[in-house]
Amino acid sequence: MNPIVELRDLHKHYQQGELEVKAVDNVSLAIEKGDFAALCGPSGSGKTSILNLIGGLDSVTSGKVILEGTDLSALKNGELAEIRKNRIGFVFQAYNLIPVMTAYENAAFVLDLQGVDPAVSRAQVMKTLADVGLTGLEDRRPDQMSGGQQQRVAIARAIVTQPAIVLADEPTANVDSKTAESLLDLMETLNREQGVTFLFSTHDQHVMDRAKRIIHILDGQVESDELKAV
Amino acid sequence: MNIFTLASRNVYRNRHRSMVTTLAMAFACTMMIVFSALMDGFAIGSERNVVSMNTGDIQIHLPGYRDDPDIYSLIDNADSLVAQFRADAFYATERLFAFGLMASDQSSSGVQLRGVDLDYEPTVTDIDQHIMTGEWLSADDQHGVVIGKKLSKLLDVGLGDELIFVGQTADGYMANDSFQIKGILKSVSATIDNAGVFMSNGMLRELITLPTGAHELVLMRTDRTGDLTLRTEQLKTALGDDLDVMNWQQLMPVINRFLETAHIQTLIMMIFTYIAVASVVLNAMLMSVFERIHEFGIMKAIGVKPKQLIILIYAEMFIQTLLAVLIALLAGSGLSWYLQENGLDMSSMADEISFAGLAFDPVWHAALTPNALLMPTLFLFVIAAIAVIYPAIKVAVIQPVDAIHHQ
Repeated sequence: MNPIVELRDLHKHYQQGELEVKAVDNVSLAIEKGDFAALCGPSGSGKTSILNLIGGLDSVTSGKVILEGTDLSALKNGELAEIRKNRIGFVFQAYNLIPVMTAYENAAFVLDLQGVDPAVSRAQVMKTLADVGLTGLEDRRPDQMSGGQQQRVAIARAIVTQPAIVLADEPTANVDSKTAESLLDLMETLNREQGVTFLFSTHDQHVMDRAKRIIHILDGQVESDELKAV
Repeated sequence: MNIFTLASRNVYRNRHRSMVTTLAMAFACTMMIVFSALMDGFAIGSERNVVSMNTGDIQIHLPGYRDDPDIYSLIDNADSLVAQFRADAFYATERLFAFGLMASDQSSSGVQLRGVDLDYEPTVTDIDQHIMTGEWLSADDQHGVVIGKKLSKLLDVGLGDELIFVGQTADGYMANDSFQIKGILKSVSATIDNAGVFMSNGMLRELITLPTGAHELVLMRTDRTGDLTLRTEQLKTALGDDLDVMNWQQLMPVINRFLETAHIQTLIMMIFTYIAVASVVLNAMLMSVFERIHEFGIMKAIGVKPKQLIILIYAEMFIQTLLAVLIALLAGSGLSWYLQENGLDMSSMADEISFAGLAFDPVWHAALTPNALLMPTLFLFVIAAIAVIYPAIKVAVIQPVDAIHHQ
C-alpha cells in the first residue's frame, strides 16, 4: 500500500542561543489513506513540529517528507505553496479564519486560489458547509459565530478542495468538551463516509479516544505507534 | 474572492487608521496641486508679461542698438522686412524710440518715447489691453500719449493733464512738443513703468524728424506651438550679420532661466512634502502588516503565494492612494480654480512685485493645467508604492511557521 505521507529519517533542529534543540529527532513513519491518526505527547514533544514539516510550513534539517510521492524537502517556497493549496488541508487550534470574509468566502477561498469555476466552486462550498452543519450561516463573519461554528468553517475550508490529508493542530483545544465531541463526530463522519485522511496533533483525551491510530511522540522521537482495534 | 475585494475589506477593517493615512495623503496631494497650479500660473503669467506686454516672440535691431540705443541706429528697410515677415507666418510691427525730458506742471523726468504702429502693435502685444486708467492711443488723436504707472506718479499727473517734451531731433535740432495724457498703464516692466511714453509712430517720426526706418522690429509667430529657437535661428540665417535677431528667451535670460527651472522647483517641493507623506504611509502599512503577520501566515499555509500577498499589500495601498487622489483632485482643482479666477492677493505684503525688471500683478493667479493635476497625483502613487516596498517584502519572505506563531 502506498502511503499518502512518508517521513524518512526526519530531523528538525533549532538553535536556541548556543543550545541546539532537537524538535524532531530521526522520525520515520507513514500515514496511509483513510487514516484517522493522532500525534500525541506532552507540550514541546515535537508533534506540532512534525505536523509543520508534513504541511511544508517549515523546512527540514535532514531527512525527507514525501507527500504522494513528492519530496517536499526538495521544493521551493512557491512549489510548497502549490502543494499546500492543492493537496493539504489545515485546521488550526485557534480557528484562524480570515476575519473580513464570511463563512462561505472562507470556505471558498482556496477554491478561488485554485481558479475553480465559480459555479462549480459554489456548489462544492455549499455542499461542504452543509456537510459540516453550517447551512444558513454562510453569510456570517467569524466574529458573528461561536468557537465551534468557526472551527466547523475551518474544517470546511480544509476539506473543500478534497485534499490528500487534513492536518489538524490541536483542533479541540479552544472549545468546550461538548463542542469538541461534536467536532470529532464531524471529522469522524468525514473520515468514515468520505475517506478524508486526518492527522491530528493533540494531547486532548477526547481526540485520543476517537483516533484509530495513536502515535506517541516524546522528545522529538516516535515512542510508539499503535493501531486501535475497531 | 478577488484580491481587490479582499484588499478593500482590509482597508475598511481598520477604517480609522486608513482614514488618517488617506487624509494625510490627500492633504499633501491637495497642497501640491495648488502649489503646482500657482507655479504654473506664475510661469504662464511671467511669459505673458514678457512676451505679450513687450518683447513679442522675436525682436530685430541693428547690431549694438540694445547696448547703445542710438537714434541713428535705424533699420532702413523696416517696411519691406515687416511685409516679408507677415508673409512668412509672423505678425510683425515696427517701433521707434527716442529719449528726452518730460515735464509736467509739478515735476520733470527722463523718458523713453515709444512710437508704435497703432494698427499692428496689437497684433504682437497686448499692451493696448493693459490700461489702468483712461484708454489706449487712437489714430485720430494728434497729441495723445499713454504713460507708465510710476512715471505718472513721478510727474504727479493724471488723465487729461498736459506734458511738455524736450529732446533732440535726428537732424540735431531741439525737439519739443506738448502732449495730453490719454491713458496710464498698469505695471509692465521697470523701464516702461518709470519712463515709458507711448505714442503713434507717426507722431514720433514727426517729432524727431525720422521719416523712414525703425529701431526695432517685433515679431510674433502666428502659430506659437512651434520651436521658437529653431525659428529664431532660421531668421538669423536668412537676415545674416547685418541685423541682430533675438527671441524673448535671449532678451530676458533671467526670466527664461527662472521659468525653465520652475518645474524643478515644484518637483523639489513635492519631494520634500511627499517624503513626510511616505513616512506616514510606511508607518501605517507597517502597523497594518505587523498586526496581521499571523493572518498572513495562515494565508500562506492554505496556499497563498508570496507574490499574491505582495499584490494584496499593494492593492491596499493603491485603494487608499486612489481615494486620497480623488479627494485631492476634487479639493485641489476646486481651490486652484478659485485661485485661477480670483487670484491670491499679495498686495497687502507688497504694493508692486517685480522680478528681473519685470513687473508682476500683485494678485497671483493660479493656472489649472493638466500638468498641475497630473504631476502631484502620479508622484503620490510612486511615493506610496516605494513606501510599501519594505512591508510587502517583509510579508513575502516570512516563513509560514514563523508567521503563524507570531504574537
